[in-house]
Amino acid sequence: MRILLVEDSPRLSRNIATALRRTGYAVDAAADGEEGLWLAESHDYDAIILDIMLPKRDGLEVLRTLRARGRPVHVLLLTARDTVADRVTGLQAGADDYLVKPFALDELLARVQALCRRAYGTKQTKLVIADLEIDASARIVTRAGRPVELTAREYQLLEYLARRRGEVVSRAEIEEHNYDGQVDPMSNVVDSAVCILRKKIAISDSSAPLIHTRRGLGYVLEATA
Amino acid sequence: MKSLRRQLTRELSGVLAVLFGLALFGLYLVMYHKLTRSFDAALEARALGVSALVEQENGRVEVDFSDKILRGFAAGRARHYFELRDTRAAMIARSPSLQESLLPRPPVGAREKALYWNLTLPNGRPGRAVVFLFRPKSADSRPGAVTMLAELVVAVDRKNFDETLGGLLAAVAGCGGLLLAAVFFVVPRVLRRGLVPLAQFGELAARIDAGSLAARFSAEDLPAELRPIAGRLNDLLARLETSFERERRFSADLAHELRTPLAELRSLAECALKWPEARDPEADRDTLAIAVQMETLVTRLLTLARGERGQLLAQCEAVALAPFVAAVWRPFAARAQARGLRVELAVAVAEAPADPVLLRSLLANLFDNAVDYTPPAGEIIITGNAAGKLQVANTAPDLTPEDVAKLFDRFWRKEAARTGGEHAGLGLNLARTFATAMGWQLTVARECGRLVFTLAAEEKRNGF
Repeated sequence: MRILLVEDSPRLSRNIATALRRTGYAVDAAADGEEGLWLAESHDYDAIILDIMLPKRDGLEVLRTLRARGRPVHVLLLTARDTVADRVTGLQAGADDYLVKPFALDELLARVQALCRRAYGTKQTKLVIADLEIDASARIVTRAGRPVELTAREYQLLEYLARRRGEVVSRAEIEEHNYDGQVDPMSNVVDSAVCILRKKIAISDSSAPLIHTRRGLGYVLEATA
Repeated sequence: MKSLRRQLTRELSGVLAVLFGLALFGLYLVMYHKLTRSFDAALEARALGVSALVEQENGRVEVDFSDKILRGFAAGRARHYFELRDTRAAMIARSPSLQESLLPRPPVGAREKALYWNLTLPNGRPGRAVVFLFRPKSADSRPGAVTMLAELVVAVDRKNFDETLGGLLAAVAGCGGLLLAAVFFVVPRVLRRGLVPLAQFGELAARIDAGSLAARFSAEDLPAELRPIAGRLNDLLARLETSFERERRFSADLAHELRTPLAELRSLAECALKWPEARDPEADRDTLAIAVQMETLVTRLLTLARGERGQLLAQCEAVALAPFVAAVWRPFAARAQARGLRVELAVAVAEAPADPVLLRSLLANLFDNAVDYTPPAGEIIITGNAAGKLQVANTAPDLTPEDVAKLFDRFWRKEAARTGGEHAGLGLNLARTFATAMGWQLTVARECGRLVFTLAAEEKRNGF
């Protein structure tokens, strides 16, 4: 899952980005409204965390511009403005959620997770593919009842494929949604990650392969018939 | 509670009732007079008729009782009475209607003119009488014949007349009562209708509270008497709205200024607890920076609060401005140079009474802003004249007149976002508080794309 964080306080931005990356999200950070709008329009983010009081362009203005241009991306407003009128204005401008500073990091992560779930049109927190079970709220993966140890990034990749199960997901899409701007686009990071993930979820020799390669197209996660 | 409508109703009803009462009383008096005069005229005509029947011959006076004029004076009818006496009041003749009784004697007084008065007739009924002296016609028509004077009293029953007067009085009193009732019925209603705009105005005013200060009274719909009030109230509302807006902005800004560093601090701590193995080496430095930022904010707010309460005491002494300003500027020179700013420092030799600590802080605030907000390749000009007036001017092409008006507002910054913690938007407010505490004045103006702060000791009039 790829998140855009638009926050002008460098310290806060750094902390939130660290927390999101540690949770497995790919994070792009912008320090002002113009940069934020440019990034939001040039990438397909799963969610945007947007401050309201931003240099150059107000967060609400960025949000309205995005909505006016038909971008359906889920937006969480993160701001120090706490009055009911502020919340109403924010939600009416097209925000999906609103969180007031200071906030609990866990709450922010949970809200971002909920927004990402909604991005794939489902509210389910438990995803089951054959004997593979993914508990999205506890971020626990089991295969045939046995836990599978994954890093945050690997988990995100698996959840992303699981949310789009049965669909062929291209490398470009995986890169767009799971890797931020810090990753070299020429690298074969996606192939390596998928390869490692395949190995980790194949807990025994009898485990059926779940991630299949479609040559020239990408990958698909599904139970073989 | 005092009510304008009640008071007006009371006073207007009272005044109208008195006026109507006086008018009706006057009308009654006029009518009474007219009726009495016509009654008296009829009485006089009757008396003249009687006097025409009196003749004198050879010193004897006689009445011709056979004439039909005297029918009303006959015995038994008892409606009219007369007595004829000589000037010594000796009875000459009297009407048969009097029988044995006498009429009461008329009041004492001159008899040249007819005199009218009320009396009780012998039959006990109320009557009215006239008395006058006259010279009965004489049978002896020779010139120089001696004739005598006679006094004639004629009295008539006045019961019908009294009844007419009573009817008139009753009619007037009835009219008075009706008018009074009409006054008490109509006046409150007319006043209520007339004062509807005032009541509506009051209701509108009562609906205004802290949340609806943007409301204004529409002068066009109001009567002329209320327009000046509406105008003044609109002015007052505008001032209140501005002041409330400023207070609201201050509270929101203060919340923002405190919430952002708190959010930073909290996220830092939570990250450190959640992922202790990946501790950011910058975290401690960040924590310290946040603490310093919040400490500065709180110190400044406290200083401002003290300044506003008048608790900031300045210890003024004569300060040589040229070396003082140069010394305060020194730490900023390197930063200005690094940003490529052109700086001109020209302070004339002058002394001014100032608190060195407050003046240093004040100038440092102005210099800090000038160095940070002047665009690259801009200029800063610091001047001082012999009278001790200091000016700090810097290039500020982006500031609008509206921005300049808000410069001294707490937490105001040109950019709504508060990036970083170096400027909290309190410096200029604090600078002005320091200036006021020292008895100086700090003003700001925008001249030819430059922002010019002028700092001068307030002029003391006539040595006071």
